[in-house]
Amino acid sequence: MAEKTAIVSPLPGIFYRRPSPDSPEFVQAGEAIKVGDVIGLIEVMKNYYEIKAEEDGVVDQFVVGDEELVDAGQELVTLTK
Amino acid sequence: MINVKKPGLQTTVQDRGRIGYYEIGMPPSGAMDKYAFTVANLLVGNDPNAAVLEITYLGPVLEFGKAMKISLTGGEIPPRINGQPVPMWTTLEVREGDQLSFDFVKGGARVYLAIEGGIAVPLIMGSRSTYTLIGIGGFEGRAVAEGDVIYTADMRKKEIPVGTRIDPDLIPAYSKTHEIRVVVGLCSYRLTEESKQTFLDTEWTVTPEANRTGYRHRGEKLHFVEREQPFGAGSNPSNVTDLGYPIGSIQVPDGVEPIVLLHDAVTGGGYATIATVISSDLDRMAQVKTNEKVRFVSVSLEEALEARRTVKQKLGVIAQFIEIGM
Amino acid sequence: MKEVSQLQTRYEYGGDEFIFVQLSEAMSLEANFKGMAITRKLKEANLEGVYDICPSNASYMVRFDPEIIAPQALLEKLQQIERDLGGLDEITITSRLVDVPVYFNDPWTHEALMRFRDRHQAPDSTDLEYSAKINGYANTDDFIEAITSAPFLVSMIGFVPGLPWCFQMVRQEKQIEVPKYVRPRTFTPERAFGFGGAFSVIYPVQGAGGYQLYGIAPAPIYQKEQTLFDFQDSIVFPKQGDIFRYRSIHADEYQAIREQVEDGSFVYHKKEIRFTPGEVLSDLEAFAERALRRLYHD
Repeated sequence: MAEKTAIVSPLPGIFYRRPSPDSPEFVQAGEAIKVGDVIGLIEVMKNYYEIKAEEDGVVDQFVVGDEELVDAGQELVTLTK
Repeated sequence: MINVKKPGLQTTVQDRGRIGYYEIGMPPSGAMDKYAFTVANLLVGNDPNAAVLEITYLGPVLEFGKAMKISLTGGEIPPRINGQPVPMWTTLEVREGDQLSFDFVKGGARVYLAIEGGIAVPLIMGSRSTYTLIGIGGFEGRAVAEGDVIYTADMRKKEIPVGTRIDPDLIPAYSKTHEIRVVVGLCSYRLTEESKQTFLDTEWTVTPEANRTGYRHRGEKLHFVEREQPFGAGSNPSNVTDLGYPIGSIQVPDGVEPIVLLHDAVTGGGYATIATVISSDLDRMAQVKTNEKVRFVSVSLEEALEARRTVKQKLGVIAQFIEIGM
Repeated sequence: MKEVSQLQTRYEYGGDEFIFVQLSEAMSLEANFKGMAITRKLKEANLEGVYDICPSNASYMVRFDPEIIAPQALLEKLQQIERDLGGLDEITITSRLVDVPVYFNDPWTHEALMRFRDRHQAPDSTDLEYSAKINGYANTDDFIEAITSAPFLVSMIGFVPGLPWCFQMVRQEKQIEVPKYVRPRTFTPERAFGFGGAFSVIYPVQGAGGYQLYGIAPAPIYQKEQTLFDFQDSIVFPKQGDIFRYRSIHADEYQAIREQVEDGSFVYHKKEIRFTPGEVLSDLEAFAERALRRLYHD
């Protein structure tokens, strides 16, 4: 069985899966990602903070939907290795 | 000197603030949580107005270029030196090459990092505080960025022994629900009686628009007393003839989403202000995060002054303890 | 003679560090002069513990340290100043008269306002055309003539550093009134000349904004480097109580002034003027004439 990990939000704010409303999503479930890949943005205090993968893996699922509010420490995405 | 390896979300140089320029439209800026700011300087023996770093939500990674004493106060963004957890509200010592980093925020929103001697940035209009809107003060008028080098000043007044720590009873607790005390007034006559009550009864949620200029809250719609708008006031019922906004004053543009104006706010404008956060609770407001709950509690001016005295007394106890503890 | 009487004063505490005093709910020259007189007296009193004295359009605000001056004592002092003020003919105000050149219909603000037509009440006309029309002027030239023919009182400074709210010194029926944009612009050029409600402004720095845009001033009103003569003592030029005369200029004079600003030689043309509010309010046309004569011919 593949090992599961999660990417968590370091910040409270709004989670965005796209760089802008007209752009495609950064990544999709099932896609392989590498360290440093941007998987989403958190908007807070009129800043956009890039959420990056800290390890290689395959996106298992998004725990939080596009434009949903998140808290600091909340899981955004689960990965399988 | 200190090297900025990663800047964090918004890390700025702040002191007590730029006082006395409100009339030209210049807000004071300065540390959002003055209690934590004051204690941070006390713990490293600095002049009370020495400049510190204010860290918001997400901590920076900093590397120290020489040995020095530091202290960290404010919200719980757990600090580590070279990967090892270190206590907050304590006089710490770092060596040359040590790295300071932070875990994710657990409670509160802002941490103050004081360094022995304070931060050396130019004094602009009597203050070292950063005001990013027009790019003055602090580190080149902006938040610190990767690659910046921060120098220390010589505003140390006393030698404080490493390991000096604050009595836990004097360390504020940071929850996710907050009661913020306000003096109702200013243009509160513009609200209907029912909406005045709604304002106080509602549990408001802090939106992502919450920063040094102000905190916006989501909750109920508020209504204004119907009237023919006076000349010069603008057409929306939430508009008044442009006036000055006190720091901590609360306005409700179009009756939705009350905004508490804070230290980098606009100094005036055309929205009715309905209440003002008392000075002691501005410190507590500074530790409120996006998504947390806020209830505004109406107090009298006397109660506001009493709360102010209590804070001052606590700071007096801390100062005395640090003095005797030597 | 007109007395300070029809205004209704409201004293309010803004938490434990501010007192807010509303002199009138409506904007008027009378309310503004009264606030100016009170705040100038308060400044002269030089009270310990008073940090900021901020006159605004029809109100004023004071920031203080309640440990140095008791809020109740300060409030009583403010009430006493109001009581002792006397009539509008007994107050003498000294102001700076300033020539403020404005390049109306300039290419930069024109480009900015065209970018945001979808946020405007009248997407098919310019801000000048729209404002002229709703204020009953036949064309934009007549509208600009109305703005430039009578001086404006700098009734309040604020929002951001140095931004002057300016209220034209004409009878209320001649006051220009325009709405703000339906949704604010995300961009306004630095030094843009705009109008919103009954107030004109000059934007000190580039940024968002909701006022109608008519032109651009070649000279700054905010200079953080403080290299120009008029900025030696302060990073902002306007002072509450100043009287601005907006003078319509063309591209060549705009360029010439810009060059003076760049080489550091620009100085605002200004004169001192003394008046009583009573004298101004009793005959605004005569005052405007006197002010312009003093500014350009005395």
